[in-house]
Amino acid sequence: MNYIRQEDLHNWLADIGEEYRLTAPVEKDGVILYEPIQSLDEIVWDFEKPVNSIKEIFFPQTEILMELQISGNGSDEIKEVIPTEKNILLNVRPCDAHGLNCLDAMFLDDSPPDVYYAARRQNSVVMGLSCSHMGESCFCTSVGGSPGDTVGMDVMLSKYEEGFLVELLTPIGEALFSDLPVTEQVIEVESPFEKGLFPVPNEEILKKSFDSELWGMQAERCISCRICAYVCPTCRCFDIRDEVVGGSNGTKQANRIRCWDSCASEAYRRIAGGHNPRASKIERLRNRVLCKLYYYPQQYGMLSCVGCGRCIDACPVGMDITEIMSVLVEGPA
Amino acid sequence: MITRNLNDNCWLPHLGKISSIDNLGPEIKLLRVHLANGNGHSNEEFQPGQFAFISAFGVGEAPFGIASILTDDGSLEFAIQRLGNVTTALHELAVGDLIGVRGPLGNSFPMEKLEDKNLVVIGGGIGGAPLRPVIQYVNNNRNKFGELTILWAARSPSHLMFREDYESWRNIPNTNLHLTVDQPDDEWDGHVGLITELLDQVNPSSKNAIAITCGPPVMIFYADKLLSELGFSPDNRYVTLEARMHCGIGKCGRCNIGEKLVCVDGPVFSMDEVENFLEGYF
Repeated sequence: MNYIRQEDLHNWLADIGEEYRLTAPVEKDGVILYEPIQSLDEIVWDFEKPVNSIKEIFFPQTEILMELQISGNGSDEIKEVIPTEKNILLNVRPCDAHGLNCLDAMFLDDSPPDVYYAARRQNSVVMGLSCSHMGESCFCTSVGGSPGDTVGMDVMLSKYEEGFLVELLTPIGEALFSDLPVTEQVIEVESPFEKGLFPVPNEEILKKSFDSELWGMQAERCISCRICAYVCPTCRCFDIRDEVVGGSNGTKQANRIRCWDSCASEAYRRIAGGHNPRASKIERLRNRVLCKLYYYPQQYGMLSCVGCGRCIDACPVGMDITEIMSVLVEGPA
Repeated sequence: MITRNLNDNCWLPHLGKISSIDNLGPEIKLLRVHLANGNGHSNEEFQPGQFAFISAFGVGEAPFGIASILTDDGSLEFAIQRLGNVTTALHELAVGDLIGVRGPLGNSFPMEKLEDKNLVVIGGGIGGAPLRPVIQYVNNNRNKFGELTILWAARSPSHLMFREDYESWRNIPNTNLHLTVDQPDDEWDGHVGLITELLDQVNPSSKNAIAITCGPPVMIFYADKLLSELGFSPDNRYVTLEARMHCGIGKCGRCNIGEKLVCVDGPVFSMDEVENFLEGYF
């Protein structure tokens, strides 16, 4: 196993930071967030999980897809805005890297690929940090992950004594870290603490649950605020629209922007004539949970819940997807 | 149009120049669009039932069923009812203005599979737009299909779509056109009532027949129910479904009906598919 001292890693990051934009967990007003950093001193090394997920580096809350020059005389122009920035993402938790793997299945592998996501993904190196324990709301082990899961990472670090164990997982990781001052050591690693498993409903249970009263009982307290989707590493629903940003002499400049959306919003499925097949929050909650556990697996071959527990932490009314899963499998308590 | 390889930006619309604008009805316009950039782009690549996203630059884009197969000059046609921001902006455009066209998207009616069948085409309101290419296709390949029965409905005579086509449709051999409106005006002497009443009256035989329906969800629901009672089996009943969407390529997540995405799995479905969706379309 490769080992690197914290000080050596720090120096190496200082060098590489000149070529790459570094994004890492930082503390802001007492909250841990993944954010681009200005100084290595901002990096937080001891944390459970950031409040936001790493998806926003690849799929930002709002992004410009194209710049439009609208002249109105038949000579409008469209300019693509393809991101070119090179990123290193530091201390990415396994659940977040796993989430990228889910997003890859839809944005990259399912034709046609999304060029904006693809450009950011291709220009990024994901440097994970394994978890030493599972937090209160964490349930990654129930949905196929683990505190030491390397899916979606190029490199994984694990805290060890005064430094880190280093696992180089992809050719990109190997190339980038070829000059990393690591030493090879035989090290016995203690397994991280893992919690007991929550039951995950199978396909048959999920299909049968569709008309269950459970959804109504669970949705009663939902206030359709959508925070569950915004903190989720795999929720990817979006809206696209144009925003006029300037202009003169009869010419308008606009940006075609893409921004996050959520299936919890009332207007989400409403069509032009006013018909809304998912008018109630009961139907919308059911859609979100079934998307995670049944629809996404049908469409892209994997669960779109990575067990990070952020939706549980963020929900203002205490909704808990593990409770819903348990009720689905075991019936109401 | 969109050739799908890694280097292409699937979000980039083609520029199209509006070559003519016709009033189809109250707040409904037919935009004829000539694609301005790219070589050899024509709607030959559009199959009946497919759709495209149309951009009103500076406002946004929205999906519309293509309302015509190949026109003489290789243009595309889209029927646009003014209902929201994008459609309002499209209504304000003039001949010569540019719009964006992103498509063709979605699947299409299985025209080859429908050969030798009697076809019952049921269109309600602007839902008739994606069915017009089916009628045109049958007309262009008349000997490949059996009897063509068209049932066409709207809330008023002025809302009946493509009125200028009716004479040519009636002249297609072995074809019957039946019209109905919910609210007649002084000059209307045709059928008055819902399309289900008209369907009941016309009573098309389900023998060797395929029904294709498009319209508002409530119309599809009841027309389809009646077709079932008339003996049309689920695999002989096709619908084209509408859903709010922002991409048309299986990314934005918006148009799911259960595990299916209307944009890439549809918009054309047979009812045996629809009946197996975990979630209802209605």
